[in-house]
Amino acid sequence: MLEEYKKKYTKAVVQYSILDFNGKVIESDNALFLDFKNNYIGDIHPFFDSLNSLLIAEENEITIPCIHLNIADKVITADIILKTFGDGKNPLLIIHDLTTHYINYQATAQVRNESVINSQILELKNTYLKEKEAFKNIFIANFSHELRNPLTGILTFTDILRKTSLERQQKDYIQIINSSSLYLKKMIDDILDISKIESGKLELSIEPFNLLELLNEIKSNYKIKAEQKVLEFNYNFDDNLPEIIGGDAKRLRQVLTNLLDNAVKFTNNGSINFNVSLNQLRAQKASIHFEIIDTGIGIKEEDIKAVFTRFTQVSGNDEYKGTGLGLAIVKHLVEVTNNKVNVSSEFGKGSTFSTSINFLAKKSLAINVPRKKTIAPFDTSKKYNILLVENSEITQLSVLKILASQGHFFLDIATKKDDVLNTISNFENEVDLVLMDIKLEEHTGEEIAKQIRKLPDLHQRKVPIVAITAKVFKDDLKSYKKAGINDVLKKPFNESQLLEIIYNNLK
Amino acid sequence: MKVSKKIVLLGYFGVGKSSLIRRFVENTFSEDYKVSIGVHIFKKNITIPEKGTDVSLVIWDLEGNDDITNTRLSYLLGTHAFIYVYDVTRPATYKNLENEINFLKEKQKNTPITVVGNKEDLVTKAYLKQNSNDFGSLTDFYVSAKTGDKVNFLFSNLAEALIK
Repeated sequence: MLEEYKKKYTKAVVQYSILDFNGKVIESDNALFLDFKNNYIGDIHPFFDSLNSLLIAEENEITIPCIHLNIADKVITADIILKTFGDGKNPLLIIHDLTTHYINYQATAQVRNESVINSQILELKNTYLKEKEAFKNIFIANFSHELRNPLTGILTFTDILRKTSLERQQKDYIQIINSSSLYLKKMIDDILDISKIESGKLELSIEPFNLLELLNEIKSNYKIKAEQKVLEFNYNFDDNLPEIIGGDAKRLRQVLTNLLDNAVKFTNNGSINFNVSLNQLRAQKASIHFEIIDTGIGIKEEDIKAVFTRFTQVSGNDEYKGTGLGLAIVKHLVEVTNNKVNVSSEFGKGSTFSTSINFLAKKSLAINVPRKKTIAPFDTSKKYNILLVENSEITQLSVLKILASQGHFFLDIATKKDDVLNTISNFENEVDLVLMDIKLEEHTGEEIAKQIRKLPDLHQRKVPIVAITAKVFKDDLKSYKKAGINDVLKKPFNESQLLEIIYNNLK
Repeated sequence: MKVSKKIVLLGYFGVGKSSLIRRFVENTFSEDYKVSIGVHIFKKNITIPEKGTDVSLVIWDLEGNDDITNTRLSYLLGTHAFIYVYDVTRPATYKNLENEINFLKEKQKNTPITVVGNKEDLVTKAYLKQNSNDFGSLTDFYVSAKTGDKVNFLFSNLAEALIK
């Protein structure tokens, strides 16, 4: 009975065939394929062609797995075994049908390979995107650098011109040039900030600072700006606000001034309210709530999300000029502190922007609050030799005019490394300070600074070096410090910024 | 006179080995990717007019893998020529090109190897030039199974070389 069932239900999976040494099938059990007998194996399927050279009278066994065979409309995937013998017996060909096994294997391989290929493609796309992003950021950094040189010239000479004898109308024109230049400077700064944020290079510093001083200063500035537009300016600073907190004062100022700028810009009637309150004060943390309420043009509900998108202005009105970067920067800056900016608005009635930001509380701050920088006292009876290393004629002229107006500076200008080293090495005319541009033609400012620090004379190699540059990313600052540069003046600069940094660095 | 030559296609998975063969044998192309396992064998007869010879090309389409040393050596027995295929758009498929070719040369010293970069239709000539440091010096030519560009040339050129 069992034998009968076996015979009835067993599905053949192996075919045995005996071949002669020319590849002709002498005998076959026809278990898988019929009509093998008397045919040459090479004619049955091209795969078997490859076996002809292996039909030798030597003891050998070769297995060739996973061969797809399509013979007389029957398709299988099989392992092929060829046995040859040394005793003169004919070769034996075994075809082992493993179709089911290989179908499962194929399905697994399909999933695996597709997933590997997809992840490789994704990785490649990411690489391209990163390259594109890096190119954009380098482009922005270089382009803004190129803009800063002429802007320094405009701002400096506006300052100088303002001090000359002018008619009222001319003074008004100077004021327009000045405010336009400052506006342009702000746009360049904003674009650089966005570029820094998007490239992940923006890091917040945590330094102790005087919150109340900062708020009062901002309040005073915006009170004037609001009054210039005949707007009411109210403020309410919580009495419980801590005076000293730890955080990034520069970035907090940027957030608040961007929000207040926005409020002043989009409000033509009514008021602006600037409220700051303490959420909670713990041993380590101070959570402070900032709120700016205006009675301006307001935002349509469908546009609220878009106000934080860069280069977007939802007002759709040319009257309100701007790059549309301010609120995008605010959003990113607040998000870096793991907080968010909330906005509620009623179209035509006004908007409220608010955020809560965590700062370090005074108790957890180990260091003292730095006092506001003041210009160090200096000996006015002495003349100081300043060496300017700069190839931009505009900047050369700007520095020359500013220093000449002070009456106690001599200025030398050099653009090449050898000239710089020769000037500093001159014992008869010692250089008191070097103002060093970074992007020079033959060498970078850092390279020249390193050479200065290797000069044989102690006094000469210790000369203070101040970089004047637009490249002020964190990595740049580290690199300047490593090159022995003492301080950095960011382009564009004005008269007081230049003088302050010179006085602070003169020995 | 009729001769038979075994040609084996190798390379990383998904580079288009099966597509190149399908383009050559059937003149068809499909965007769908079906993973090949084991070996598929195709046969195509071509005539080399200058020699008055018919060549029967027995083309072995080997399962792709990410390391040629994993290839079953029994598949390579009796091979007359190799075609090593990579995908010009996927660096993973050509990052070890030199080692892969050296492995083949070591295993079958006298068997000629033709190296082709497939999917050239997806990139520009400038891209090929830019990346020539990675694969340029080893590549014989760039092909496209999709457009058919240089596919017939690849096989007929090889057949001609094999009966010299």
